[in-house]
Amino acid sequence: MIAHFHQPLTRRELLRQSALGFGSLAFTSLLADTAAAAGKTPHFPARAKRVIFMFMKGGPSAIDTFDPKPALDRDHGKPYPGQKPRVQFAATGTLLRSPWKFKQYGQSGCPVSELFPHVAKCVDDICFVHSMHGTNPAHGGAVLKLHTGSDNFVRPSMGAWVAYGLGTENANLPAFITICPTLAHGGVNNWGSAFLPADCAGLPIGNASVPAAEAKVRYLSNAKLPRDLQRRQLDLLAELNRDHLTATGPDLALEGRLHSFELAYRMQTAIPAVEDLSRETPATKQLYGLDDPVTANFGRQLLLARRFAERGVRFVQATFSDQLVQWDQHSNLKKGTRRTPARSTAPSPDY
Amino acid sequence: MTHLSLVTPLLAALLAPTADPSAGEVRFFETKIRPLLAAHCFSCHGPDKQKGNLRLDSAEAFRRGGASGEPLVSPGQPDRSLFLRAVRHESDDLKMPPKGRLKDADVADLTRWVKAGAAFPRVVKAAGDAERHWAFARPADAPVPAVQDATWAVNALDRFLLAAMETKGVRPAADADRRTLLRRVAYDLTGLPPTPDEVAAFEADRRPDAYERLVDRLLASPAYGERWGRHWLDVARYADSNGLDENVAHGNAWRYRDWVIAAVNRDMRFDDFLVAQIAGDLLPADERRTDRLIATGFLALGPKVLAEVDERKMELDIVDEQIDIVGRAFLGLTLGCARCHDHKFDPVPMEDYYGLAGVFLSTRTMESFKKVARWHENPIGTPEQLRQKADHDARVTTMKARIGKLPAKGDDRKRLTAELAALEKAAVEIPTAMGVVDGKPTDAPLLRRGNHLTPGKSVPRRFLAVLPGGAAPRLPADHSGRLELARWLADPAHPLTARVLVNRLWRWHFGRGLVRSVDNFGLLGEKPTHPELLDHLAHRLVESGWSLKSLHRRIVLSHAYRLSSAASEEAVRLDPDNRLYARMPLRRLEAEAIRDGLLAATDGLDRTMGGSLLHVKNRDYFFDHTSKDNTRYDSPRRAVYLPVVRNNLYDVFGLFDATDATVSSGDRATTTVATQALFAMNSDLIVSSADRLAGTLLGRVDLDDRGRAGLLYLKAYGRPPAGGEADRVTGAVAAFDAALTATEPDATQRRRRAWAWVCHAVLSANEFITIR
Repeated sequence: MIAHFHQPLTRRELLRQSALGFGSLAFTSLLADTAAAAGKTPHFPARAKRVIFMFMKGGPSAIDTFDPKPALDRDHGKPYPGQKPRVQFAATGTLLRSPWKFKQYGQSGCPVSELFPHVAKCVDDICFVHSMHGTNPAHGGAVLKLHTGSDNFVRPSMGAWVAYGLGTENANLPAFITICPTLAHGGVNNWGSAFLPADCAGLPIGNASVPAAEAKVRYLSNAKLPRDLQRRQLDLLAELNRDHLTATGPDLALEGRLHSFELAYRMQTAIPAVEDLSRETPATKQLYGLDDPVTANFGRQLLLARRFAERGVRFVQATFSDQLVQWDQHSNLKKGTRRTPARSTAPSPDY
Repeated sequence: MTHLSLVTPLLAALLAPTADPSAGEVRFFETKIRPLLAAHCFSCHGPDKQKGNLRLDSAEAFRRGGASGEPLVSPGQPDRSLFLRAVRHESDDLKMPPKGRLKDADVADLTRWVKAGAAFPRVVKAAGDAERHWAFARPADAPVPAVQDATWAVNALDRFLLAAMETKGVRPAADADRRTLLRRVAYDLTGLPPTPDEVAAFEADRRPDAYERLVDRLLASPAYGERWGRHWLDVARYADSNGLDENVAHGNAWRYRDWVIAAVNRDMRFDDFLVAQIAGDLLPADERRTDRLIATGFLALGPKVLAEVDERKMELDIVDEQIDIVGRAFLGLTLGCARCHDHKFDPVPMEDYYGLAGVFLSTRTMESFKKVARWHENPIGTPEQLRQKADHDARVTTMKARIGKLPAKGDDRKRLTAELAALEKAAVEIPTAMGVVDGKPTDAPLLRRGNHLTPGKSVPRRFLAVLPGGAAPRLPADHSGRLELARWLADPAHPLTARVLVNRLWRWHFGRGLVRSVDNFGLLGEKPTHPELLDHLAHRLVESGWSLKSLHRRIVLSHAYRLSSAASEEAVRLDPDNRLYARMPLRRLEAEAIRDGLLAATDGLDRTMGGSLLHVKNRDYFFDHTSKDNTRYDSPRRAVYLPVVRNNLYDVFGLFDATDATVSSGDRATTTVATQALFAMNSDLIVSSADRLAGTLLGRVDLDDRGRAGLLYLKAYGRPPAGGEADRVTGAVAAFDAALTATEPDATQRRRRAWAWVCHAVLSANEFITIR
């Protein structure tokens, strides 16, 4: 929102009020600096304009999914040969080979276990990062660290940084939306803005305790007030606010608040319009697994994410997490791990 | 992007190297070079070890070089310098660091630094630098300045402000009108709007001391403690849940909250208030014992990574949080920085940090570090409860002994076992409170780079060496030293404690502090706009016996506090940022005041004080893995009593910039985002408040609609409608009523709804949430 400056501003205020403009310049400059400092340009020019982050809560083991370890097959049942970590989350036993078979797929020849036959078909479109390292093995710390980079300080979330750096492309929608986020394990901090401006925080649609089909942005509608009357009410409100502004003299925050009601009013129609899937074709819905109760919930989130992204939302997060932590195999490895990919890998049921 | 042209040149100035090359070099050194040296070199060539007789951690040492005698850096021949040859791994006999070559980018940075002259800025820690920093010197009690317009000044505070205004040629604004002043001071001191009766009474009170009487009445109201206790709770990062990874309930934190509110209400001396929170458990056990144990909850309330697998790390993280909270809350210093390295900006060496760490390592905060860890709680039973518990325990023991003697099978045993079960069920519960007690006194080892796996020499417990009495405090051998730490902080001569507190009060009265960075009085903090005034008030605070109420009186009875927020063009031009306080700033209400104001103005507030509104048992999870939040916020009690759930704040708190309750904060932002507007348009809180107000207005059968409009304005804005405002209200009611005719046949219902919608608009408007 661009406010009109009626009175001289201090440098600090200017930076604060124009946070998005400042952010985008700083971000561009930051990227250039990083590249220059490394003495080279990136291999590929940065093209990404939007991010859809599929957060599938928990930790399926790399060795059961995309990172086969043949030595484990060989040494199955033997004690761990190296030095165990100084501290461990739980008692550890002997070596265990993956119960699932791997095959290589696509032109890249990426190995995928039999848990993911459908993901296997598109490995050439996937970038695998096999070098991830974590410092906190417990859910809470790990989830926080993944989203914010810190498990012991409150820091801006990934989406907030992107929103801060790139702003929104759609004046009626926020830059960062998170669909059905989990409230556990860091909760709001995982989509919070911390010290960045408040409008960089993610707008949550529902939370992980409600099905995607019932997820709503809070306070987006008023059942008791018909829309045409709400318009009249906002006109009355605008009159009150303009009179008040005359009495107080120019004030950026008060003007900003006057405009914020108009943006909120537009959001009331803009968001439901994106959420309305009725005009998607049956073929699309099938592609997203909406026709199968096993995949429908996460599939709906992903279709919503695509629709928000298409309308200029910079960062959309979809979260796979409902009544249980989905990938949480302390024991019963086979049963637990088999159950999970099915519901998380829309469009196609991998079970 | 109309503002881009404004922004760009300014940014260019900020982002480009500054005209002063040494400032740019300092920044380059501090952001790139010192961290590299610290990470890769200091462990062998620093304070602890000097391999090859070489140190790399100061300009002098760098110049001196090592055992070989060859200079590290050859001026004029940077590429041939010994230092760069070593880091480039050019020859096999000199490779530094020995474990592996630095990244290319790091080597490039070091090369750039050497080529530019290898400037090695000093860490600011010499005593001379520190003493020159205003906040580390004891406050002077400067004489009250002379002013030209002596009649304008009500008290000494005014003279300090007016003197600065006169120097700059700025005239103070006119006085605020009585109704504006009443609404301002009522919200300020109690967090609640004045009632229509109070507005009428104050307007009618023409005694010369009417305003003083008003202020005294507000300060004596229990609502004052709820308002100003809440301010302290921000500083104390108060929360009813742990947050972070394992969001379990602080089921007894409310006892600390209630203690704060009561302490503020009875104007407890701030030095006592401080000592109780840091060392209440170490004070002599008298009738205040329970309160003092509860007060130590201050040290226990921090967020903790309760599922940290590494128990030693968890312990040290908790100690770190305690050092951080004490530093920020009372000293306005960020001491946590010195955990891994000497503070980069403030004169706080690692020895200070680990000296304090020893104090808190000698303190018992946790019952168990085993994941999920449990914090310690102090039993706070009354003597009567304790006696009952002892009696009960004795009866259980006796009965168990009797059962043990009976044959394994038999009716007697069966009967007695059943009796025992019933007896145990009726156990006497002793209430507990989060808090600390002393543990085994111990000194902390200095942890190199803050890493507990690389402990160094043991550091004797101490406070901050740069401040008087902090370097080598006399600590008893059998105690942690917390009581001595608390008394050191509460010393009337301490240069920071009183100043930080005065500034906090000023911030909450004027919207920002005399030191803008209210939580940072260090070298990176801002300088006070009125240093002599700050010190003057700090002296008066201590003289008054650390009485907050006396300081409030000084501030709100000043002429400056009573000024209008409307400024002349001249004043805005000369002082756009209002650094001179020549007018009152406009302020938006804080989250709690918005919510309480809504309920109060619509006769929906329950003024019952104290107690817990949590539905979750102590140590139970707010959420496990299900994300179902069953916390209820529809209680009509004041907002200060609503649960503060970290990671999932109540919407009103989250939307309207309450603190996130994880770190100490004496400041709050004022943001304007569209989700606030959605809340104002559609939330049940505001819709039901508006409906309740409509009911009240329509219930006044003695009034006509214009009279109702008048009452509406008095309740919402503390003033009667002016000009065409009453007509606007009645016109809007009529228009809504007419628009409903088609859908709502019941005329009474129609009228209620029409009034409710108008009330809704009035309560959502800027005037409701703005203090002029």
